[in-house]
Amino acid sequence: MIRFLSILFILVSNTIFSILEIEILKGSDNLSKVAFVPFGNESGIEENYGSQISKNIEKNMLLFGEFENLAVNEMLSYPSSENDFYYRDWKVLGVDYSVIGKVNSVNALGNLNISYSLFNINRRIKILEGEIVGSEDNIEDISKIISNRIYEQITGLRGIFDTKLAYVINSDADTYQMCISDIDGKNEQILFTSKAPIMSPDWSPDRKKIAYVSFENGLAEIFIQDLQSGERDSIQALGMTNSAPVWSPDGKSLALVVSFSGNPDIFLYSIRNKRLVRLTNHYGIDTEPSWSPDSKKIIFTSDRSGSPQLYEISTKSKRKKRLTRDGNYNARGRYFPDGKSIFFVHGNNGNFQIAIKKLSSRYIETLTSTSLDESPTISPNGNIIIYATKDGSNGYLGGITLDGKARFSLPVKNGSVREPAWSPLLN
Amino acid sequence: MNKVLTSLNTFFLILLFLSLIFSMFSFPKLNIDETQSIKVNFYELIQQNDILFDPPAANTLIKKEAKKTSAINEKTNADETSIISKFKINKLDIKNEITKIKLSKEREDILRVSAIIQQRISSIWIKPNSLSESLIAKVLINLAPSGEILNFSLIEPSSNTSFNESILTAMNKMTFFEEVLSLERKLFEKNFRNFNLVFKSSGEIE
Repeated sequence: MIRFLSILFILVSNTIFSILEIEILKGSDNLSKVAFVPFGNESGIEENYGSQISKNIEKNMLLFGEFENLAVNEMLSYPSSENDFYYRDWKVLGVDYSVIGKVNSVNALGNLNISYSLFNINRRIKILEGEIVGSEDNIEDISKIISNRIYEQITGLRGIFDTKLAYVINSDADTYQMCISDIDGKNEQILFTSKAPIMSPDWSPDRKKIAYVSFENGLAEIFIQDLQSGERDSIQALGMTNSAPVWSPDGKSLALVVSFSGNPDIFLYSIRNKRLVRLTNHYGIDTEPSWSPDSKKIIFTSDRSGSPQLYEISTKSKRKKRLTRDGNYNARGRYFPDGKSIFFVHGNNGNFQIAIKKLSSRYIETLTSTSLDESPTISPNGNIIIYATKDGSNGYLGGITLDGKARFSLPVKNGSVREPAWSPLLN
Repeated sequence: MNKVLTSLNTFFLILLFLSLIFSMFSFPKLNIDETQSIKVNFYELIQQNDILFDPPAANTLIKKEAKKTSAINEKTNADETSIISKFKINKLDIKNEITKIKLSKEREDILRVSAIIQQRISSIWIKPNSLSESLIAKVLINLAPSGEILNFSLIEPSSNTSFNESILTAMNKMTFFEEVLSLERKLFEKNFRNFNLVFKSSGEIE
């Protein structure tokens, strides 16, 4: 009887409580469609600042191919305030988000007061509203701030439109230039020009200095250059050559490679007291160090197993761990900003591509489809990788979003571009 | 008198009990191995009792012969009982078979409609980028028999706001799941009147 009752209970409870569940694992390959409505200008404002700002925002948001836009001439209306905004005008055009705004006033000092809003068309709600005041001379910077806020609202990730890029241009066989520019390629500055190779630039966490390697004195030497003053200082580390400098997350030390009698090993260099601490000591080549976000570990490339592979070493215990085993070439490893994954250059049958690996997983995944990729650098929000690659003999910078939906190349410079380094975010 | 009645009563009870026991053992047994398909057993029964496929003809023949001799009559009655009892079991068997077929068809329909719904949601859900954590969110859907989405709610949100927002945005794009129109009403009510969509991010870099 008890048995019968329990069977009955199971049957009844199954009927009452079970509900069909359908799992959704895969997302769409489509991009979100955004309408950047030309910003309005309050009557009396002569210059069309509004239109300039909305065009800048659109350009920023489309820079990495993460969104699709709606052409202005396809729009059914041009609202600049919430009162004139009708969701149906955008829904029929398949728009996911609409950005509207207005220049409200310009004071005697030339300061603009701008208001803006972002609407989620499918949910029929306003998801962002803001106001910003800035000089008419800084319209691009104002646009970047608004773009960052919109990007963050839509993706949940920090906006990166005010970040910068450091890179080396090899304009001819004998000229090397250490450059920085805005992430969209504008406002390029040449920091240093040399007849000898320059390589491995890296930003200090406060974005005020850049460390890089220069061969100007015949040997690999590390320099730190102040971006404000332009002053450069050589690190007087010991050994024959010093290379591959990388700032620690707190900006107090550098991880670098020092070679004593031709055997490169990884060292930590304290910037304040100029002390050198050895991390690795092996007859193989140990190079290309990079810090984990929590400063506790350093990833580096070593050929101690017979081929270049990635290893991780604890900065305290100096315990080492091999991270890669696939293929016979895995180098230039870097951590993701969350510290849970790494990206690196993976070589396979003469092709060198950018690959990623979750540290908790055994498997690697190649991201790029070009064949001579090198020096990957990741956006500070962890969503985009920019890398140096080649088209014939000409080097350029390519990029890819981590979901693989968008691939892009950065504007072509006058010469081969190599060794990109993405700046940290401004806090 | 009472004693006689009581003893008679007891006797009939015993008789009833014995007849029950006897009737139980007189039913033919079907040894259906659970691991075997029921179709196999059904086929075997058909092989053994071809007559089952023409029961009216068999009955007519039996009735004609019954008029001739009582001995034959007894035998025929016994055969008839046997056939009927066997026929009854085979009816049950057929019923089981039909239920099974019906169930598998229902299952097939549920899977078919579920797959279409899954594909339609996947085609409009713009999954947020760079999610290196495993996330799960559950949405309860309430459908009208016409396929119209009457209501949906995020009953188990994930810890990630953008992930939840992306799901709500996708759900707002959907108005109908007209695929359910192809279902029988009973099946719709049981499975698709209320159902859950479970959105998952694998935690891998996607």
